[in-house]
Amino acid sequence: MPEIKTSDFSAASTKAIADPKLRRALDRVASGFHVARLQRIEEATPQVWDGWKTQAREIKAHTIEHLDYYLDLLYKNVTAAGGQLHFANDAKQANDIVSHIVRTRNIKIATKSKSMVSEELGLNPVLESLGVEVWETDLGEYIIQLAEETPSHLVAPALHKSKEDVAELFTEKLGIPYDEDIYHMAATARTVLRDKFMQADLGISGANFVVAETGTLVIITNEGNGRLCTSAPRVHIGITGMEKVIPSMQDLSIFLRLLPQSATGQRITSYVSMTTGPRRSDDEDGPEEFHLILVDNGRSRMLADPALREALYCIRCGACLNICPVYARIGGHAYGWVYPGPIGAVVSPMLVGLPQAKELPQASSLCGACREVCPVNIDIPRMLLDLRKKTAESPDRAQRSAPKSERMMARLYAKLMSSPRLLHWAVRSGRTLQRLEHLVPFSPVTKGGKWIKKAPLPLLSRWTRSRDLPVLPNKTFHELWDQGIADRPSDARDV
Amino acid sequence: MPAMSDQSLGVPKDEFLRFVREALGREDVPPAQPYPRLTDSTTDLEQQALEIRQKIQQNLPALLDKLADMAQKGGWNVFRAAGAEEAVGYLQDLARKSDLSAVVRSAQGVFDQVPVDAALTSMGLKVTTVLRDEANPRESLREEIRRSGMGITGADFALAETGSVIVLPRKGLSRLVSVVPPVHVALVRPEDVLESMDDLFLLRRLEYHQQGGEMGSYLNFITGPSRTADIEMTIVEGVHGPKEVHMIILG
Repeated sequence: MPEIKTSDFSAASTKAIADPKLRRALDRVASGFHVARLQRIEEATPQVWDGWKTQAREIKAHTIEHLDYYLDLLYKNVTAAGGQLHFANDAKQANDIVSHIVRTRNIKIATKSKSMVSEELGLNPVLESLGVEVWETDLGEYIIQLAEETPSHLVAPALHKSKEDVAELFTEKLGIPYDEDIYHMAATARTVLRDKFMQADLGISGANFVVAETGTLVIITNEGNGRLCTSAPRVHIGITGMEKVIPSMQDLSIFLRLLPQSATGQRITSYVSMTTGPRRSDDEDGPEEFHLILVDNGRSRMLADPALREALYCIRCGACLNICPVYARIGGHAYGWVYPGPIGAVVSPMLVGLPQAKELPQASSLCGACREVCPVNIDIPRMLLDLRKKTAESPDRAQRSAPKSERMMARLYAKLMSSPRLLHWAVRSGRTLQRLEHLVPFSPVTKGGKWIKKAPLPLLSRWTRSRDLPVLPNKTFHELWDQGIADRPSDARDV
Repeated sequence: MPAMSDQSLGVPKDEFLRFVREALGREDVPPAQPYPRLTDSTTDLEQQALEIRQKIQQNLPALLDKLADMAQKGGWNVFRAAGAEEAVGYLQDLARKSDLSAVVRSAQGVFDQVPVDAALTSMGLKVTTVLRDEANPRESLREEIRRSGMGITGADFALAETGSVIVLPRKGLSRLVSVVPPVHVALVRPEDVLESMDDLFLLRRLEYHQQGGEMGSYLNFITGPSRTADIEMTIVEGVHGPKEVHMIILG
C-alpha cells in the first residue's frame, strides 16, 4: 500500500490553506464541474433526477445486501466468457496475483488506464520492481506519475498542478523545450503514449462497474486511453473493489446517466467501454487473456458495520469533493491517502484503520452538501458523526480524538445546561464581565464588536481560535418573554 | 519458486464468499426477493424487444432528429445525407480538407450501401479494409491503422438519448479503426437508431440469452471526440483518440 499520511491531517491542511496556487486550482473545480452538473439536473428536471438517484440507490443497496450471491454469479459468468476472476483479501494478495501473471506471461511493458484501486494497492512500484515498464495513460495520471505524486481528486487527478507546473515537469522529465500551451502538452502526451499503447503486452484498467449477469467490465473515459489499454495489448487485467458489482446489464443505464453528469456535468463520456472475456476467434482485436481481480482490502469492515455499509454504494463520481467547503480549501493531498473529500473521510478511516485516520471525520462542517449532491443518496454526514462517535468512545483512551481538556469542558457544559439555576447565574455573571470589558478600549475579548473574538482562559480561547461566538445579549429569551417578546425583537441583539 | 497455477491465485472463491457472508451476518441463501430483472425469461425479453421495435417504427423521424441534435451536442459533426451519393460527397470533401493519404475502414454491411472505396481511391487515397486474412495479418493491419488519417466505420446502433454510436465485435471490425486515426467517420443507417440506453441494454440482454450466454467480447459507446480537461480544466480534443468525429446519418 502507498504511504499512509492520514495522521498528518492537521498540519497538511493548515499548509494547504496557505497555498494560493492550490486555491486557484480548487476554484476552477468548483466553477467547472459543479456548475455543469447543475445544468444537467435542470435539463433532466430535478424530479427525474431524484427518481434516478432513488433507483440507483435501490440497486446498490440490493446488490450489497446480497454481495455473496452476486459475486458468485459474476464468477460463473466471467469464467463462462473465457476470463478468470481472482479474489484478493488485501493489497499484497492483489499485487501477488498481478506479479504472477506478469512473470508467467513474460510481460515487459504495461499501459494503465485510471484506477483508484491500483493507487490503493500501490501496484506501480511492485510492477517496476519486476522490471516492467509501467505507463499511466490518462493525461492527469501520466502527469502525476512523472511528478511522482498521488492523485488529488477522484476524476481530475492532477488538478492541483498549474499549466506552468506541467510544462516544467515535461521539460525536466521528457527533455523537451518549455511550452506551457495546454494543447501542445496534450499532444506531447499523445505522441509519447501512442507508441506505448501499441508496444504494451499488458493493459491494466480499473472498473466503474462489473455486471454479474454477463461477467462484463465497464469503464468510462473521455480520452480513449481506456479503450486502447483494453483492446491493444495481449493481456488485460481489470482491478477493482468487490463492491463494484451490479446485477444486470439493464441496471447500467441509470448509472451511465448519473455518473458522468454528477462527475463532470457531461451527458455521457466520450467512451464507454464494456468488455466481456478475452477476444473471440473472429474478433479483429482484443486481448488473448482477460483477468479480473476483485479486492476486499478493508471493504468487509464497511460491509460488517451497518452504520457504514452504505459507503460501499459510492460510484466515485467526485461530486461530494466538488461541493465540499473543506475540500475547496485544502484540496485532496491533505487527506493523506488515496480517497479525498467527504467520501474519503469515511472510506479512508475504514480502509487504513480509524486510529490512524481519526482526524478525517472531523474535516467537515456537517453542512450536508455532500449528501445533497450524492447520486446514490449516501448520507455522508451521518457516517462522519458515527466515526466521530466511535473515536470518542474508543476503549483505548489514547485513541480518543478529543484532548482531556475538551472532554472536561464538555462535562462542565453538560452540567451547566442541565441546571437552569446554574445557567442563569452563568449568563448573568458573563454579562457583567462583558459590560466591564466594553469599558476597556480595544477590549481583548470582543474587540468592541458583536462577536467574541478571543475568549478568556486558555481552555476557552482554544475554542475561539477558529470561530467567533455571538456576545451575550442584554436580555435572555426568558427575560424578553416576560416583557412580551413580540413587541421588542430588536432587543435581542443590542449590547 | 514452484509454478503456481492461475487457479490457486489469491483467495479461493468459496473462502472469499464466506468472509463476505460473515461480514453481512447472513447464511448462504440467494436474495430473499430475487432481483426482478434476473428472473426475466427469454420470452419476456422478446416481448419487450418487440415493443421497442414498434415504438421506434412509429417515431423514426423524431428519433433521427433527436439523434442528430444529441450527437451534435456530444461533439459530433453531424451530416444528414439524403442518399448514398450525398454521403460519398461529404466524405470526399472531408478527405480533401483533412489532407490525408490513407484511410482505413471496417467491413460492415453499410459499405455495400455507400461505395466509399471507389470514391476515395478515385481521389488517389489508399483505402484499407481491416479484415484479417493470410495476406493481412493482425500486425500489418495495425500498422495500416496507425498510418491512416481517417477511420470509417458503420454503427451497430445509434442512441438518440445520448448521440452515441455503438459498436459490437464482428469479423472485420477493429475497435482501433474508430480510436487510433485522428479523424473518425461513423455511417449511421436509420434502422440502427434506438431511443435510449434502456432499449440498447434490453436488446443486448435478449441476444445474450438467445446466444446461450454469449455477450461478445465488447460493447463500445462512442460519443464525440476524445477529450481531456486534466490540465487546468481546459478542454482539449484529440488526446488519445480522434480529434475530429463525423456522424453521417443516411436519412
